Amino acid sequence: MCLNNNDIATNPSHFEDSEETVAAPAHRDIAWNDYKDLIKGMRFFDPHIHMVSRTTDDYQAMHQAGIVALIEPSFWVGQPRTGLSSFKDYYSSLVGWERFRSSQFGIKHYCTMGLNSREANNEALAEQVMEILPLYIYKEGVVGVGEIGFDDQTPAEEKYYRLQLELAKSAKLPVQIHTPHRDKKKGTERSMAIALEHGIDPSWVIVDHNNEETVKSVLDKGFWAAFTIYPFTKMGNERMVKVVEQYGPERIMVNSAADWGISDPLAIPKTAALMKMRGISDETIRMVTYQNAIDAFGKSGQIDVSDFESGYAIDHTEKFHGNSILRGGQQPSPAKDSLVIQ
Amino acid sequence: MPDIIKQKLWEILDLNTSGPEADWLQSRAAASPMDLMTAFVAAPRFLSKKIIALDKDQKWALNAEISGFSVDGWSLVRLARVWFLTNLDASDKEEYVKNIETLFDTAEMNELVALYAALPVLSYPDQWLFRATDAVRSNMGFVFDAIALHNPYPAKHFSELAWNQLVLKTIFNDKPIHFIEGLEIRANEKLAFTLSDFAHERWAAGRSVPAQVWRLAGKFFNQTLMPDIQHLFDSEKDEDKKAAALACNDSSFPAAQYLLAKYTDLEKAVKSGALTWADLEH
Repeated sequence: MCLNNNDIATNPSHFEDSEETVAAPAHRDIAWNDYKDLIKGMRFFDPHIHMVSRTTDDYQAMHQAGIVALIEPSFWVGQPRTGLSSFKDYYSSLVGWERFRSSQFGIKHYCTMGLNSREANNEALAEQVMEILPLYIYKEGVVGVGEIGFDDQTPAEEKYYRLQLELAKSAKLPVQIHTPHRDKKKGTERSMAIALEHGIDPSWVIVDHNNEETVKSVLDKGFWAAFTIYPFTKMGNERMVKVVEQYGPERIMVNSAADWGISDPLAIPKTAALMKMRGISDETIRMVTYQNAIDAFGKSGQIDVSDFESGYAIDHTEKFHGNSILRGGQQPSPAKDSLVIQ
Repeated sequence: MPDIIKQKLWEILDLNTSGPEADWLQSRAAASPMDLMTAFVAAPRFLSKKIIALDKDQKWALNAEISGFSVDGWSLVRLARVWFLTNLDASDKEEYVKNIETLFDTAEMNELVALYAALPVLSYPDQWLFRATDAVRSNMGFVFDAIALHNPYPAKHFSELAWNQLVLKTIFNDKPIHFIEGLEIRANEKLAFTLSDFAHERWAAGRSVPAQVWRLAGKFFNQTLMPDIQHLFDSEKDEDKKAAALACNDSSFPAAQYLLAKYTDLEKAVKSGALTWADLEH
């Protein structure tokens, strides 16, 4: 498929750099059948993906590719919100409908709660959002405050970033930081400095959307460094392989940040396959595509790996809800290649 | 809600919690409404993942207070949440309703399950009718189950229209109707006829209807429904034949009795009590 700049611009993602020109596609065409054997038996944890924007096909493909759990950070949804109720319904959907939808496809769904940086600039609304946020951050399966941080790096963004760092501290939750696209390096440094200023232990902070330019400083300061594999505009997975070769697996994690833009919910399994092809060890792959995310966000106390490590099946859900009569809880998989729809 | 329910739930909680867990529950229950509501939300952070299993006496004791109400098979968290709600001060109706509504409005899935499971023990039961019918509309299976199955609230408070919707949706979702409380008492002619239409649609699509659903129809058999029964007797499935026989036995319509007499073995089985609806419950 051929994509030009205009195609991309009509559909900007929440963290796309609109000023950046689109380089050659970073993804190569590797069909599922070509790489599925490479990652056979591997389990993946995607610590950043916006499932509200994804289809059931995506859920099925993710499950099939070995993704057993994910984290959906709260963010803006493209259309600016005009009232508190839209925020409330969005937050509720992350712990309600979307969580249920995910469970139907055998994927354990967690989320992080927060006021995103873009909408922090609507101060009148931001004030109201801050009032209801505490009701959400204590909920079951909320593994952090996020994604928060800077976008335009305005005073309002800084104000609500700081307030939410305090909220995370009092709730004993990890922080998931969204780093800006424009002026990224400075924005990343500033986000980290402010977190440290608030007395937050860097091992409780996941700095997201890193690249080759930001990773060293993030790791040196003791933070977790997350990398978003996102076609065209962000990290490609070949570059990701090089980062892992250079820095090793410690405190590094990969995510897809798939959303309503042109993105790839299979970014993690694909990257794992590429790492495998390039000779990176299985243990290193496991760390950056599964374990590190669990260790970082697991500090919330909300991740019980027994919920998904041996497959998140309907049997388990039944037990968890203390109810043995649930039927039809999991979506059947239709035969996609069949002309006949039954 | 009488304190006796609060007390009975506490007795079960007490048996199923550690010392620190019980202390936390007591301290939160005595706190301000806002703190109690936060504890309702935060319960999984303080309580272990555990399933409540009741013995016969405990089940009987709860059932004696509210017929059809049971906490057997609940998670500890759900039980604690329902108990918290029984501790919420109900003396100021407006305040109480507002607090419960806030919990509904901001609830995640497991909280919704607890809220709906708690409906039979909440004060001002009429206030929750819209919420309860909304749960029947829910696409979240667990939420639907919390109102539809093992819950005495709908049988007691739903209109016929809402009740029939609940039963039909349970059948439509392939869930077992014998877990609906009050199924026999609330059986009605309208439901029996809608069920027949539904069965025709399924049959036309080459699909089937669980055999036990015909327990809802027997009492209302008439000339219109007789072809359905014949269809069941003619079915290749053994269970359909059994359902036809049982339904005929429930009916006082002469043609149904006459039809049943044609199937001697089945007639004998239902008349002797060797075959009952319980045999088709799954």
